[in-house]
Amino acid sequence: MKIRFLTIFIMLILCQYSGIAQDTFMLSGTVTAKSDGVPIPGVNVLVANSNKGVVTDFDGNYSISVTKGDKVSYSFIGFTEQTITVSDQQTIDIALEQDLEELDEVVVVGYGTQKKTSLTGAISKVTNEALDQIPTSRVDDALVGQVAGVNIQATEAEAGSAPTIRIRGTGSLTGSSDPLIVVDGLVVDNDFLGSLDMSEVESFDVLKDAASAAIYGSRGGNGVILITTKQGKSGKTVFSYQGYTGLKSAKQSDAYYFSVAETAAAELAFAGTLSDRTKYLQKIGIDQDWQDIIFDGGKIESHEVSARGGNETTKFSVSFGYLHDEGVLLTDDYKRYNARLKIDTKVGERFSFGGNLAPSYTNTRRFDGSTHDILRQPPWLPLYHDENTIQYVDRNVYPDVQIGDYAVQRHFDNYDYYGDGSSLIDISDTSNTNPGAKVLERDQNDYKFKLFGSFYGEYKIAKGLKFKATLSGDYQDTRRDRWQGVLSSRNGAADASYEVSDENRIHIATENYFTYDRTFGKHDVEAVAGFSAEKWDYEGNSSLGTGYTSDLIQTLTAATVLSELDSWIYAERFQSYFGRLNYAFDDKYLFSASFRRDGSSVFGMDSKYGNFPAVSAGWRISQENFLINSDAISNLKLRVSYGYTGNKDLNTGNDIIDLYPALSLLGPSSATIEGSLESAYIALNIANPDLQWERSKEINLGLDYGFFRNRITGSVDYYNRTSDQLLLDNPVSSTTGFRSALVNIGEVVNSGFEFELRTRNISNQNFKWTTTFLASMNDNELTDFADSNGQIQFVDDKRAAEWINLEGQPISSFYGWVVDDQVPLEYLQQPFWPVGGQAQDVYVKDLNGDGLIDDDDKTILGSPYPDLVWSVTNDFQIGNLDVSFLFQGSHGAEVRNMGDQYLFNHFNSGQDFDPSITPNQEFIREKIFTNSIVQDASYVALRTVNVGFNFPKDVTQNIGLSNLRLYVAGQNLLYFTADGYTGFNPESIYETSPTTYGYQRAGSPIARTISLGLNAEF
Amino acid sequence: MKIYKYIGIVLLAGFAWSCGDDFLDPVPESAVTSDAYFENDEQIESGIIGMYDAIQGVNSNDLDDNFSVQREYYITEMRSDNTRTKSGEGEAAQFENYTVTASNGIVANYYISFYEIIYRANLVLQNLDAASAAKAGAFEGEAKFVRAYAYFNLVRLFGDIPLIDRVIGPSDKETAYTRVAKDQVYDLIISDLEVAIANLNNNYKNRASKAAAQTLLAKVYLTLGTNYGEAQTLLESVMNSGYDLEPNFQDVFYTEGNDEVIFAVGYTSDLVSDSQNISAEWLNSVGRTSGMNYVTTEARAALDEFGGDRTVYSYRQDAAQPTQYQVVKYLPNGDDNLGIQATSNNPELAGNDWIVLRYADVLLMHVEAIMAGGQETSATAALNSFQKVRNRAGITTPVTSITKQDLLDERRVELAFENHRFFDLVRFGVAQEVLSKYSDDNGYGFSATDLLLPIPQREINLSNGLMTQNPGY
Repeated sequence: MKIRFLTIFIMLILCQYSGIAQDTFMLSGTVTAKSDGVPIPGVNVLVANSNKGVVTDFDGNYSISVTKGDKVSYSFIGFTEQTITVSDQQTIDIALEQDLEELDEVVVVGYGTQKKTSLTGAISKVTNEALDQIPTSRVDDALVGQVAGVNIQATEAEAGSAPTIRIRGTGSLTGSSDPLIVVDGLVVDNDFLGSLDMSEVESFDVLKDAASAAIYGSRGGNGVILITTKQGKSGKTVFSYQGYTGLKSAKQSDAYYFSVAETAAAELAFAGTLSDRTKYLQKIGIDQDWQDIIFDGGKIESHEVSARGGNETTKFSVSFGYLHDEGVLLTDDYKRYNARLKIDTKVGERFSFGGNLAPSYTNTRRFDGSTHDILRQPPWLPLYHDENTIQYVDRNVYPDVQIGDYAVQRHFDNYDYYGDGSSLIDISDTSNTNPGAKVLERDQNDYKFKLFGSFYGEYKIAKGLKFKATLSGDYQDTRRDRWQGVLSSRNGAADASYEVSDENRIHIATENYFTYDRTFGKHDVEAVAGFSAEKWDYEGNSSLGTGYTSDLIQTLTAATVLSELDSWIYAERFQSYFGRLNYAFDDKYLFSASFRRDGSSVFGMDSKYGNFPAVSAGWRISQENFLINSDAISNLKLRVSYGYTGNKDLNTGNDIIDLYPALSLLGPSSATIEGSLESAYIALNIANPDLQWERSKEINLGLDYGFFRNRITGSVDYYNRTSDQLLLDNPVSSTTGFRSALVNIGEVVNSGFEFELRTRNISNQNFKWTTTFLASMNDNELTDFADSNGQIQFVDDKRAAEWINLEGQPISSFYGWVVDDQVPLEYLQQPFWPVGGQAQDVYVKDLNGDGLIDDDDKTILGSPYPDLVWSVTNDFQIGNLDVSFLFQGSHGAEVRNMGDQYLFNHFNSGQDFDPSITPNQEFIREKIFTNSIVQDASYVALRTVNVGFNFPKDVTQNIGLSNLRLYVAGQNLLYFTADGYTGFNPESIYETSPTTYGYQRAGSPIARTISLGLNAEF
Repeated sequence: MKIYKYIGIVLLAGFAWSCGDDFLDPVPESAVTSDAYFENDEQIESGIIGMYDAIQGVNSNDLDDNFSVQREYYITEMRSDNTRTKSGEGEAAQFENYTVTASNGIVANYYISFYEIIYRANLVLQNLDAASAAKAGAFEGEAKFVRAYAYFNLVRLFGDIPLIDRVIGPSDKETAYTRVAKDQVYDLIISDLEVAIANLNNNYKNRASKAAAQTLLAKVYLTLGTNYGEAQTLLESVMNSGYDLEPNFQDVFYTEGNDEVIFAVGYTSDLVSDSQNISAEWLNSVGRTSGMNYVTTEARAALDEFGGDRTVYSYRQDAAQPTQYQVVKYLPNGDDNLGIQATSNNPELAGNDWIVLRYADVLLMHVEAIMAGGQETSATAALNSFQKVRNRAGITTPVTSITKQDLLDERRVELAFENHRFFDLVRFGVAQEVLSKYSDDNGYGFSATDLLLPIPQREINLSNGLMTQNPGY
């Protein structure tokens, strides 16, 4: 292929000098912008119905071989395409007119598109201009800071793992608060974002307010992200390569590195002498930071090749991508292979059809450990024994340990420090195996194959009236396996096991709808009406093999005992009717109304269907006569919208309950009776036949503005979303036989402001500077929680730090006592043991002053939700060089950093206060029950930096390319956390229920990446 | 054009996807619904088996799972003077220190687990109408035995508790959180066990039997101290039902379903879903903990003094930490020196049945019933029962009279580490005295209020003030 195009290219050049043939001659000229007469480089000059095409050079000049009668078109982004018919003229200069419609970018709105100027809802569009140059493995990670009101948080930072996306705050309690993801019209699950290649994406359109999302009805309650994949353009086929390779490293925590040296110095200062144990630790001489071992960093690389093109009737796009992200954690690894084929074609004047097929395969190796467990290991413990450490091994108990074996704390016990048998020193604080072995000797993988397909036919019935039918679906096969090796546990081969499961899901959707789009004088009418039906079928199986004797064969084959054999089948159905009417008068007064009725198999007989209406209106003040000619105010629009959306997603952790919550379910179990297994049926849930749609109603007031010929543009939105009859897996008294039951309860209000400000600060031929500022402020309030108001919960009943769900406060608030003072070291049992240990207790405040500490002294200690999230992007273009950087920040959220409790060994008895000497003991409580570990999770990050160079056309043409870009990109190169935050990722949140949000358990670190990228086109 | 024909078909296909009436009502395939279940004997029986499944508990580390009887030793043996943790860490140490807090997860888990057992029994009772006349009685008896078993443990551990004698929903907060006086709980236990005795026979050891109900009811009477005569009659009835002591003491714990077993919780080795990790936790870093239920100096002294042949099959020195001593009953991975075979490949997936009621207990309760709250007995029937237990232990010197202390000591060594000691101390009325001394000797913090466990904080929090806590918490 490449050769063919090179040939054409060479021929074109040769043609220039081949003299003028009878019919064919060279047409040349200059293309300029009509407004200012500045030449435009890069304009596509194409001869219709031929392969011939060139682009203008840096001075706007072009030259192309034509025949009399040819139609030549001149097109460039942001300008109206012009077509001329060639006569005898050999020179044609073209002045392209700026495309005002193009300024009014087109926004995808669900079952159609709309000009941005006609929008009445709150919709943000992000076009993939350089997003694919951000070195992250997932598309959602690259969206951080791109849209006001969309908060994307790296709650789990394992390679390839999904961030948490919240549009305008958390409204749901059980249910998922994840936005709806729609790819090329098909609703997909959020996991799909993990298999999408950013290079395939044309744009993201985020429907934020209820009126916009209401066309997705029950599923729009958490906002909608519409993803449009790239399509070919008519003209010359463009081949492109995009790729980058980079290095990742982890942001570490200084607070979580504690050394023998520091502890020894503190001990010496405090006690004047060192304990035998400390002396022994010094003798071993190892003082390592376990963060260095488990945050091993890695490489990331991504490659995508594509071909896009077409002609008047058929357009196509083919692409292949490969990504490999080694992650920053030990063993974590993510590989993705993906391809996409998209074709659209017209048959005659009335009919068009197309298809879109995208297979992908991902392989994720997990980090099979927990950082809090590993990092609490002492710094003196090495990963493996070497010549030095082997001499400390207690040979009576461990005769076989060799150099190169995993070092285990117990190996170092019973050490005869003085060599005279006078005292044998124990230094182990756990019998566990080496923490590194737990990770390295396990091999846990997720393998996902997905196939996305979408086919449509569209028929033009009459002028403005079309009918479109789509049949789309996605297939997903997920295989998970987990090998737990012989050395991964202290019990050796007895604990070796292999777990494997395979689940596949077929989702098929059909959508059929009419669209009507006509203009009658000053009246613009646009309407959509249709219905859709969707089904999901799930099927899976799993098994567990045990009884291995070695690591040699890591499949079920070598297992001597097979158990936990299971298989399952679930189904979900969905069916909807929808319609929308947009009306605009004189392009000034805009009105829109939509309605959707959704039915879901999840709900019971009487509540299957939900209705979701919405209305909105807009006034383009700048189109009024008094402003139409204003240079200062080039765009001004008021918007107001009101609508209902819903949410049906349940997330109890048990799929069958989530899919059939209205039914009282019984599932199989077994019990051993007289030596044999007998079948039991046990109740799985407390059924709720009245369970119904969670409902959100939202009002949105918006103002879009553009000043000074749109040098300054942006918008301001205020919203107020009330979500009620919330779906909640609410804890119930265990005397019911259950721990929780699904109910519709309560009301949550999210309200806030969103600002978008985009400025073109400097814009001339050689230097351009634009700035984008986005900010969103959200306030979350639980306004009604029925008789669960004031409910106190904890996540881990061994570490029962509390959360309260109190009306008038955010959904979750940290709850407990307030720290008054630290317990001085002299009252601790063993203040310097283990290394890095800190007191587990503090003095707390007697808030009500009654002289004792009890539940009445507990109070709200903080909120896990940010108040303000902002980002600032600056783009500079200096000739062929461009620089852009994005700072992003979040303020006001707190986390309950349980990592401190683990890492500072709060629970170690050495850290307890001595009850025989400590004063005022009745005022002492464990730190985990106080604000001692409630920490400010605010941060400011340099999210992305991109410095790129676009090679000039004359250079690229010499090497047969039309575009060549080289760039360096960085992610999170600067990352500032708040004072008092001790961990390595303030965004990390351990997954719990929304009513106990903000639990951090060390988690995984923020990844810093620096990469080198190359984009080439020909 | 031909192509239009195909287009037409595609468009029609979109519509043709039948949206029939039941489109939105897919039938669950991996579960059944209760309105289509419990309609015949077989189905009700699967509900019965479900009760035992709840007693077995889940062998996992997931805090949302009900561990049930698998963690009972924490709140019984480890709260007595028999055992403690190996290294005194974590919330497990709260039991030996007598510093249990209301948010202790092990306590909450037991409470939740045992109300689940009660729920499953109530579910069977609710559906009895569908049973055949031939089976209904036995089903009722079985469900009532299980319910009584659960309540008997709960009432002894927590005192006044919510009394749930039917299936309740989450909205019935009044019933769910109202603590009912112990007497009322015992009334239900007694009437349930009477039904069980009337309706059951002795076909099972892993399921309820008449003898199990009789033994349990006798123990209830002994606990209440109100009806020693009836207790004696019940126990004598069991003694005439074909049960006998196993000749070798160690076989009691390693021969499943032996003659001595009256009621045991069944387990199957190497299956996650049906195994237990009770005894793996009693070893040094074999289970999920570093070592639980380690033998106290006091228990060793008692076994050394009174145990006879039983002693070597009750505790041993920990090879890894020679200053520590482990329980050897139910060893999952065997002991070569004692000639005990491993019962599973993976000790954490042990298959040893957990014995709840056995014949030696019956014989010793028989003595207790005859003693009838007195300090001593020399009744022949009592002496015979007592002697029988001691003979098996190789202590054949004839006994002429038995004091209350003799009986308590005998129970301690015969039934050591089988979750009896705490209840025995309370029943014999000596708990406060014995545990205070034990606590003082070891620097623990026992006080009288530690005899009852706290109502789990979870329930107190959810009750919104309806539920009161036990004193001392």
